This record gives sequence, C-alpha cells and structure tokens, in this order.
Amino acid sequence: MAAFTRRLFLAAGSSLALAAALGLPASAAETVAETPKRGGTLTAILQPEPVTLTPANNTAQPTQFVAANIFDGLVTYDFDLKPQPSLATAWEVAPDGLTFTFHLRKGVKWHDGAPFTAADVKWSLENVWKTIHPRNKALFENVTSVDTPDDQTVILHLSKPSLPILAVINGVGAPILPKHLYDGTDILNNPVNNKPVGTGAFVFKEWKKGEYILLERNADYWDEGKPYLDRILFRVIPDAAARAAALEKGEAQYATFNPVPFRDVERLAALPNLKVDTRGYEWLSPLLYLDFNVDNPYFKDVRVRHAVAHALDREAIAKVVWFGFGKPAISPVPSTLRTFHDANVPRYPFDPKKAEELLDAAGFKRGADGVRFSITHDFLPYGDDYKRTGEYIKQALKRVGIEVNIRSQDTAAFIKRVYADRDFDLSSSYNGAFPDPQIGVVRAFWSGWLGTKTPWTNGSGYRNPQVDALIQSAAIEGDQNKRVEIFKRFQETVVGDLPTLPLLELRFFTIHAANLKGIVIQGDQTYGSVKNAWFDDAPKQN
Amino acid sequence: MLTARYLRRGLAQLAFVVFGIAVVNFFLLHLAPGDAAQVMAGEAGSATPEYMAALRKQFGLDQPLYIQFFQYLKNVLTFNLGYSFRQGLPVSELLLQRLPATLLLMVTSILFAVSVGSTLGFIAARHAGKAVDTAISTLALLFYATPVFWIGIMFIVVFSVGLDWLPVGGMASIEKGYTGFDHVRDVAHHLVLPAATLGLFYLAIYTRLMRASMLEVYGQDFVRTARAKGVRPRRIAARHVLRNALLPIVTTLGVQMASVLGGAILVETVFSWPGLGRLAFEALFQRDLNLLLGILFCSSIVVVLVNLAVDLLYTVLDPRIELA
Amino acid sequence: MSLLDVAAAPPSLATPRNGLLTRLLRRPSALVGLLLLALIVAMAASAPLLFPDDPLDMVAQPFLWPGADPAYPLGTDMLGRDLASGIFHGARVSLLIGAVATLVSLVIGTGTGALAGYYGGRVDAVLMRLTELFQTIPPFLFALAIVAILQPSIPTITLAIGITAWPSLARLLRAEVLKLRHGELVQASIALGASDARIIALHILPNTLAPIIVSSSILVASAILTESSLAFLGLGDPNVVSWGGMVGAGREVLRTDWYVATVPGLAIVAAVLALNLLGDGLNDALDPKGERRA
Repeated sequence: MAAFTRRLFLAAGSSLALAAALGLPASAAETVAETPKRGGTLTAILQPEPVTLTPANNTAQPTQFVAANIFDGLVTYDFDLKPQPSLATAWEVAPDGLTFTFHLRKGVKWHDGAPFTAADVKWSLENVWKTIHPRNKALFENVTSVDTPDDQTVILHLSKPSLPILAVINGVGAPILPKHLYDGTDILNNPVNNKPVGTGAFVFKEWKKGEYILLERNADYWDEGKPYLDRILFRVIPDAAARAAALEKGEAQYATFNPVPFRDVERLAALPNLKVDTRGYEWLSPLLYLDFNVDNPYFKDVRVRHAVAHALDREAIAKVVWFGFGKPAISPVPSTLRTFHDANVPRYPFDPKKAEELLDAAGFKRGADGVRFSITHDFLPYGDDYKRTGEYIKQALKRVGIEVNIRSQDTAAFIKRVYADRDFDLSSSYNGAFPDPQIGVVRAFWSGWLGTKTPWTNGSGYRNPQVDALIQSAAIEGDQNKRVEIFKRFQETVVGDLPTLPLLELRFFTIHAANLKGIVIQGDQTYGSVKNAWFDDAPKQN
Repeated sequence: MLTARYLRRGLAQLAFVVFGIAVVNFFLLHLAPGDAAQVMAGEAGSATPEYMAALRKQFGLDQPLYIQFFQYLKNVLTFNLGYSFRQGLPVSELLLQRLPATLLLMVTSILFAVSVGSTLGFIAARHAGKAVDTAISTLALLFYATPVFWIGIMFIVVFSVGLDWLPVGGMASIEKGYTGFDHVRDVAHHLVLPAATLGLFYLAIYTRLMRASMLEVYGQDFVRTARAKGVRPRRIAARHVLRNALLPIVTTLGVQMASVLGGAILVETVFSWPGLGRLAFEALFQRDLNLLLGILFCSSIVVVLVNLAVDLLYTVLDPRIELA
Repeated sequence: MSLLDVAAAPPSLATPRNGLLTRLLRRPSALVGLLLLALIVAMAASAPLLFPDDPLDMVAQPFLWPGADPAYPLGTDMLGRDLASGIFHGARVSLLIGAVATLVSLVIGTGTGALAGYYGGRVDAVLMRLTELFQTIPPFLFALAIVAILQPSIPTITLAIGITAWPSLARLLRAEVLKLRHGELVQASIALGASDARIIALHILPNTLAPIIVSSSILVASAILTESSLAFLGLGDPNVVSWGGMVGAGREVLRTDWYVATVPGLAIVAAVLALNLLGDGLNDALDPKGERRA
C-alpha cells in the first residue's frame, strides 16, 4: 500500500513520499511568518452570477468559487497538485488499484448540526458522482460497491482501476452533500440547492439575486480557530471596468479568473493596495486550442492542418493578444501537468513560408485574387480575448492565402453549432486539463463522444482507433508509470495528426488586496476555500 | 362612467399586448439556436449526454414544441409566470426581487430628465435665439449624441475613482448592514451616478421638447391676447405657456417608458445595478424563456399602466380633452 | 428611443418661398450639421483611396498613442491596427448601417402609418394595436434579441435596428395622413373616383415628405447610437470595422489607453450631432411657421 502511494505521488510530480496524512495545514508556507488576525468582511467579486450554489450537477466556475467555501471536500490540492487532507485525514490505494480507502475526520458537523459521516460520502458517490456530476461519471463508473465499516471509513471497490479519482476529490470536484437532506428527494430540484448546507468554513446566509451572496463564519468549524474572516460577501459586478474600479477603490478585495482587462493588470499591480497572482489555477490548468473540423474538405487534409499551425505565431498570440497571460502550448496536455506533459511532441514553429508550401502541396494554390480558399472561424464567446484571438487568426491566415470569415454568436448558439450541428470549419475553445489528462484532455479526442452532441467533447470529429485504444487503456491502468507512458504516446499521435491545435497554456490571474494574507496558498485555490485568509489590518471599506 | 369604460378598454388592450408578447417571445426564443440545457452545459465546462438529457427533462424541453407552447399559454392565461429553472426560483419571485431596483432607477432618471430638461428648455425658450439658448441646446444635444455606456464609465472614472465621492456600483453597501434612514441614504448615494447617466440621455429630449412646445404656444392667439392686455412676460410664461407646453411632455413620458427599460440594460451593466434590464439581457442569452417572458410581461404592464395614467393626467391638464 | 418622438407639430412641404437649401443654410446650426455630415461622407468616400489596405490588418506596434508616430496620426489599438484607417473605413459601415436601417424603418413605418391613417376603422385599429405592441417591448431589448437569434453580422444588426425603430414613425405618419385624408384635395379625388393606391401615392405620401425627411436624419443618428450600444454588449460584427465595434473593443483598455475608445466615440458623437442638427434645420426650413421662431 505504501509503495503504491509513493508511486502515485511520484506521478503527481513530487519527489516527496508518503505525505498522505497528519493534519498539517496546507498553508504552512505563507502563514508561518505572521500571526493571522481574526475578523473582517471579505468582499469578493463574482462574475457571472452562479446558477446554483450546489456543485453537485454544476461544474461552472462561479458556482464552485462560492460553493468551495460552504462545502469541504475529502482533500485539497497543493501547488504541485498533491492531495492534502481535509475531510479525509488519510487514504490508501491498494496495489492493484481496485480498492480505495478513505479515513474521515472525526467530529465534523454539517451546518445544520447533524454529524458528518461515511454514509454521506457513500450516498454522494452513488447518487451524485456516479450519476449527475457532469465530469465524474466516467471516473467513478467502475466503482462497484462502497463499504462503510464505521462512521469514519469509506472503502471503494472497483472492477477496474481508476487512478484519476485521486485528482478530483476536493470539495467541488467530488462534492459531498448531506444525505439527511437529500436522500429520497429529486436532487436537481431540491430547495436546499439554493440554501446549501455543507461542512465548510463558511455558512450560507443570504442570496440576493443579481446583487450578492453572503456567507458567514462557521463558528463550529472543525479546523480550530479558522476561518479568520467573519464574513464573505460575493458581489456580482457584470462590467469589467466597474470591477477594476471596485478593486482599485478597495470596495472589493478579492477577484479571480481574469476579473479585469489584461491591460489594466499592469496598472493595478503597480498600486500599493493590490496584488496580482497567477497561482491557484494549477488544478484547472486551462488550455486554449483550435478545433479543425476534420470533415471539412480542406481540413481533412493533415497538411492543411499543419499549414495553419505554421501560419500562426503563438508567441505573438501570447504576447499581443493575451498580453503575456499565456504561454505557447505544444501539446494538449499542458506543461503544468509535469508528469504527463510530453516535451518531445512534433513542433510546428511559426513559419509562413512552410505553411504556404504545405498548402501548395495539398493542392490549394492561390487564386488570381491571392486566395486559396475561404473558411469560417467561430470563436468561443467568452469575451474580447477570444474575439481578438479570432481577429488575429483571420489576419494571420490571410497572409498565407486563407480567407477567414469570423462568426460571432452567443454561448448557446456556439455550442449548438460546434458540438451538436458540427456546422463549422475552425473553432476556438478552452478546456481545463485538471491534474490528470483523463479528466480534461482526452474528452477532445475520444471518438466515443462523436454523435452524442455533448458540449466540450470531441469538437474536431477526430476518429483514430489507435488513440481510442490508448485512452481506454490509460483509464483502467493501475500503474501510474505505465499511464504516463501511454499518455506520451497519445500526445505524440494527436499532435502529429493535429485535429486540435493547442495554442496557449492560459495564465489566469487573481487580484487581491495587498493586506489580504493567506489568500493564494493552494493549487486549487480558485476552486477552494478562503478559510486561511485574513486581513493584516482593517480593510478599507467605503 | 366614461372613466370606467376607458379603463375597461385599457385592460382589453393590455390583454392583447400580453398575448402578443407571449407569442412573439415564445417563437422568437425557439428560433434562437441552442437551448437552456446547452447554455448550462456550456458554462459547466463539461457534460455527459445523460446530464444534458436530465437538464432538458427538468426544463420541459423534451416535450414537442406545440405542447410546450400550449403549456406556456395556459400558464400565461392563469397568470402563472412559471419557474426559471436557470435561476432556480419562480419567475414572479425574481421579478419582485428586481422590480423595485428598476423602478427606482427609471423613476429617478425620468424625474431628473423631466425636471432639469424642462427647466432648461423653459429657459432656452425664454431666451430663444440668444446665446443661452444656443448653449443649452448644444449641451443637450451633446448629451444625447454621446453613447450612454461611455458617459457611465466616465462618471465612474471621474466621480468614483478620481474624486472618490460616490460608489463604483451596486445598490447598497451590504457589508455595512445599514437599516432605516441610513439605508435609504446609502441607496440614494448609489443611485446618483446610474440615474444621472440614464437621465442625461433623456434630458436632451425633454429640453428640446419643452423649448419647442413653449415656442409653439407662444405663437398662439391666447398668448398674444394676454400680451396685448399687458400681462407681464414672466407671468405669461408661467401661467399660460408652461401649462400648455406640459401636454406634449406628458405624452412623451408615456411613449418613453419601454425605451427607458432598454436603456436601463446598458446602465445596469455599467453600474452593476440589480434591475430587470440586466436580468432580461441575461435571460435572453441563457435562453431562459419563462423569465424573459415574465420580464416583458411585467414591463408591458408598466408601460400600459403609465399610458393610462398619462391619458388621465391629460384630462387634468387640459379639461377640453375627454376620455372616449 | 430617439428624438423622433419629440418631432411635435411636424411641418409640411407647403410651397417654399425660397429654395430649401438656401433657407437651410441660413441657420447656423443646420450649416454646422450639414458641413459635419459632408465631412463624414467625404471620409467614407475617400477611405479606399486614402487607406487602401485592410483596416483590420495589424500594421504597427500596439498602443501607439495619437501623434506618437506620424504614420499613424490617430494611433493604433491593442492589436496594432491603424485607428485612422479604422475611422475612415468605419464611417462607411456606420453610415451604411444607419441608412439601411432607416430605410427599413421608413418602409414599415410609413406603410403602417399611411394605411392606418387612410383606411381608418378596423385596419387602423389592428395596425395601431400592432404598433402599440411593438412600442411596449423595449426596442433595444428587442433588437438585442433579434441580433442574438440571427447571430451578429452587419445585415442582421441593420435589420434588427430597422425593425425595432419604426413605431414612432408609424404614429407620426398616421396623424399626418389623417389630416390629409379629410383635406379638400383627397376628398375631391375620391369624388372623382380615383383609386386608393393612386390617392395614397399621388396625394398623400408626397405631402408627408417633410416629416419623413426630418425623421430620417434623426433615425440614422439613433441607428448609429444603437449599433454602438450593441457592440458595447458584445454584439458586433468582427469582420468589418464600425465605429461602434471600435468603441466596444476599446472599452477594455479605457483606463489605460482611453484614446482607443475615445477616437471612434468622438466620431459617433460628431455623426449623431450632425444628423440631429441637420434634422432640426430641415424641420425649421420645411416649416413656414418656423420662420418666426428660431
């Protein structure tokens, strides 16, 4: 058992062995220097407003940003994406990968006073993780039974190994709901969803739609002395300029997921009362990519796909379009997933001449007007950054003779067009890779998704039996080293075939007040609790 | 009795409008590509076919279109605005939450526009052709010609960030937990910039309207008679001209109600004002059919009621007009 | 909402004593409006000559301030696109959107208004209920819905603005036609057995030209404003440069490089101002009573 744990942690990119346990706060590094002070209201910016506060069937970021403070998970993840104890104090995985044992913390209570027990975890796994959670179904589907020998022990029995489980069991990745409030009800329509009851450091108080969500300190929290803050006020601020102004004035002290325009970051970072941090997104590891519709008469030719890759200057996209908040990507598995990332994949350096040669070779010569062919580009409708990326692509491809017509649309239309109707040529998108490629990366390449019209799956229409086999064998491989090998072969194949062109590893940023300490201390911070955060002096509030 | 008949006609008109809006809204949104389930799955960043099917079932989107439409009409006829699955609340509850904020913003900005605009127009008309007139007219037109969102953002930059006089946005300082009079003052404090931004656009309209109708009335016989009788100009302006010039202002007020809600979308976005305009905007993009209908329903009631009130006001201002 | 709703007491084209242009030019504000508009039209016309390259091309270093580089007098935006080129090419698009949207409104608005006013009775009742329905739906929200459904592109944006802006015009026209309908000229034609279509085409519409002309200039102005508001909310066409689109893009860098949004913003203000001044001038010039006023 211990041997296996070690291997696992090696795989997670750390040289440390056997760290599974023993109550050390994950925050040690930053908080030892100063003694945290109690009190104060943290005003955090929330945008857009969440649909629900219960992360059971909704993995949207705003939901999770709030919910993580209400719901504790089995673990949290440090910057190296190693799990750290939370509701689980220790865990073991059997060497054959078919049994997971979690030891739960004693004396934890739900916000309504009921005790938190192994039964809640078992119920959540069976009724939420395995069924309605949009991301976890595949990871937990081989769990055949769950034993709860006592209130503090949960044992998962699997028919086939599923190692990525250990990468998603934080408060929002595998949300634990109170069985006594949900059992026997329609989970999706349970009124508790909007008045959530969790075990976390903060208790839900009030949600005024369109305005704010208020959480209050959980006086009965298991982690003695925490949280330090009295209240968290999540304010909905739809306009980016207004968000910048609110942070600047100190009306809000914490905002995540690129809350202000990139160009404002430099200005705000220079202010003495604000700090900018790009950490805390490691668990998500976002990647920006282009999907070629491989059924398109031009893009079905791999030379054309390679040509597009050579025609785009990813360095320029990172620097100019994304203002430096991104790093050119070479593989669909971002470099933040250190063990899985393969630096030896085929490269497509910026080389318009090469691109033109490839296009000529593919038989798409420039016409009298200099145009080889025309395509459409549908950009991800998540704001100006994606639109500017599209505008850059239009101009860059024009230089090699490809005319691009940008189509803009709202999210519903985009998803229908790309994933349901497949009525597109070239689309942009981003996904979270998460600590294991099994969770966020393979979705875009597995042919099993084709025809299911499911958003954020195989948009390109790529179908490669060899890749499918790799994906399936990695899913049920119990040896992490072997999985790493499989994923390297996977990366080399898909980067060679290039149905999907990785553009940038995005660097999301957080802005927080300079006197707000202990706010960015873990790899899943932006999906985690702010229970370790405290104000060095009374926050400026006016 | 006339009034009762008039009100009945007003209600019939309201019924027609509401029915019309229901039909337009339903088919408009069903023409839109993508549905609410796709939006939610899109935001979730991950989904499975089972998850999508569960959402569609929950939203009633798995039913044939005509059944959805009949269900929808039935709800409308029984004054049941339905449930916003997206927001997880009954539509009526959401409307009640948001309506006060929007009404406050609309009424304040319209009052501001009417009072300041009419005053400016009054002054301009009294000095028609002189420098004061030119200055007022130009200024009003400039406010009209500048995009609303631009004025809003500039107000934030100058008055909130630069001078630190007023809050950046929102409707209240929730963290302060004000109650009673303090709360009222706090909300008023937050209201200044959004109301001024929205009001400035309409200011131009009332300035011009007041000026034009003042000049119109000045030219009429009874004013000339009064002047000939030696009534002082100030008295003529106040007693005879102003009263008559108010009529078109009242009319315009009725016509404008719907448009103010449209303008509120921009202002509510810039100032994070928790009103109906922004909610409608979001409902549109989230394909939240029930909610969008509810908002349009609500706004049409407000518009029709305001127009009824305007007609009644007319009879007060001008006894010659009878309600037919 | 536009100043159109304010066009109280619309003028008629009754036997001008002097040429329209002469009377128009006598008013300083109208003159300013006309000159400004001429300038904008000239910019639109000369854009392909002065700036033959694609205005969307990234030609220089991003964020060059106006005046920093003589080659780019108005500076460059966040992608290094020439703002001056954008303003000139954008004038074409913005004017086009304004003009075509207005044309759409004119067709629907005058059609509805003329039919309602001429036939009265049940036709009037139905058409006016319809107009009221359109007036009850917030026009901007309606335009947003149409653009969201049809997907933003220049034609859909233009159409959306056009089909949401006509109700006030219809009411205006109806009132005018009502007056004319009971006038001697029309009554005489009816007595002579002229067909309805002929009467409307020959005797009614020509006499409503004045309010139509005045309304048009105001409608074009408000269409340009609406386009910029749509772009602010992210509903613009990224394939072409329009002023609204430029303001929308510049909004993100407003706090650091305010010129990016301000330059096209000023162009919008200038165009809207020009069209409204011109509208005022026309209103006065076409109205014989107006001679006494301003």
